[in-house]
Amino acid sequence: MIDEAGASEVTGPPKYLSIAAAVTALVGFGDSIYLTIHHLTAEPVPCSVITGCETVLTSSFAEIGGIPIAAFGAAAYFAAFSLAVLAFYGNRLMWFLFGVLACVMAAVTAWLLYLQAFVIGAFCQFCLLSAATSIILFIASLLGRFWNRNG
Amino acid sequence: MKKEAKPQENNKMPLLIIGGVLVAAAIIGYLYYNSSRTPGGNANRAANASNVNSNRSPSATAPLGANPPNMIGSPTAAVTIEEFADFQCAACASVHPILKEIQSIYGSRIRFIFRNFPLGIPQHDKAYEAAVAVEAAGLQDRNKFWDMQNQLFVNQQAWTNSPNYRNLWEGYAQQIGLDVERFRNDMAGRATKERVDADLARGRGLGLDSTPTVLVNGKNIPFQAMTAANLRQVIDSEIQNSLKAPAANSSNEANTSRNAAAPANAQ
Repeated sequence: MIDEAGASEVTGPPKYLSIAAAVTALVGFGDSIYLTIHHLTAEPVPCSVITGCETVLTSSFAEIGGIPIAAFGAAAYFAAFSLAVLAFYGNRLMWFLFGVLACVMAAVTAWLLYLQAFVIGAFCQFCLLSAATSIILFIASLLGRFWNRNG
Repeated sequence: MKKEAKPQENNKMPLLIIGGVLVAAAIIGYLYYNSSRTPGGNANRAANASNVNSNRSPSATAPLGANPPNMIGSPTAAVTIEEFADFQCAACASVHPILKEIQSIYGSRIRFIFRNFPLGIPQHDKAYEAAVAVEAAGLQDRNKFWDMQNQLFVNQQAWTNSPNYRNLWEGYAQQIGLDVERFRNDMAGRATKERVDADLARGRGLGLDSTPTVLVNGKNIPFQAMTAANLRQVIDSEIQNSLKAPAANSSNEANTSRNAAAPANAQ
């Protein structure tokens, strides 16, 4: 049996991994907030790298129940950031929860990439940035798991 | 005593970081939201959009749109399908054949209305003009509206990427048998733009901010449900409902008697 106080004393993931995860989550958080604000203000986002941002961001997939999908992303990234910060300070349980969240986010990312590629037929650079950050978080959680097994 | 103070500080630090980030995000987000919001009230549009997207009936107070509307089918049909589309929207072009299929399946059992809703975004720089072009075709002959609409969706990639898109449109106009000179003049005229603006005002009044938007008897159909099979299911159920509740359709009866006097209005 491990009590909660004890759990927080147990060494979590390597420091550099939780810092990298926190920074990546922060990038995803900023990106999601940016997309949420553009959705709410109905202002188009600059689409300089690739074309198709507006097709993706104005599609019916851009919101669920009237809430912009980017807002869900922002909430998830903020949660991931918080968990990574708590893990940095040695809370192993938080790193476990971070891993669970990263898996869910990676699955959602895969679904959103599928929608962009095969249903909407267009890509949005800010959505791809979000996809990249959630994949990095997923990889970080896998590395953390590997570390825990071998550490 | 000193030894106890350090872990406490350590416990507070992550919460301070998390709280700090949250406060910073809220402040920056609020400032950016205010600077992004256009005085015209785009935020209201977005807020209204959530009403439509949550499948509620659109507000009855929305402007009526271009009059007469670009309509196909029967004006007295129990089911009204209203499409809001942008000619530079790829998703609209992908839904176009599905809606054509629906029109051919249901014929006069539905009333299909096409609304121009060119999104005012830099990437859709030709969308408004395309809507005007389609209206210009409709001014010559109502049926030519649908022919031109079809041409613009089918050839979307070609004209969207061409600097000589107006020449391409004139080519399509010639192909569908329009008087090209008149088509050119109508495009420059006010009547066509007024029709597009009226449709745009209706879309905005309904709180729309995305295309394609398809309303079946006022109910917003999510993009992922815009398949022929799903639409048929929704339309069939609406037809069934109208048969089950004849009392609720007293206004339709009034329309029917009006239509008996003017059956030619069906197109």
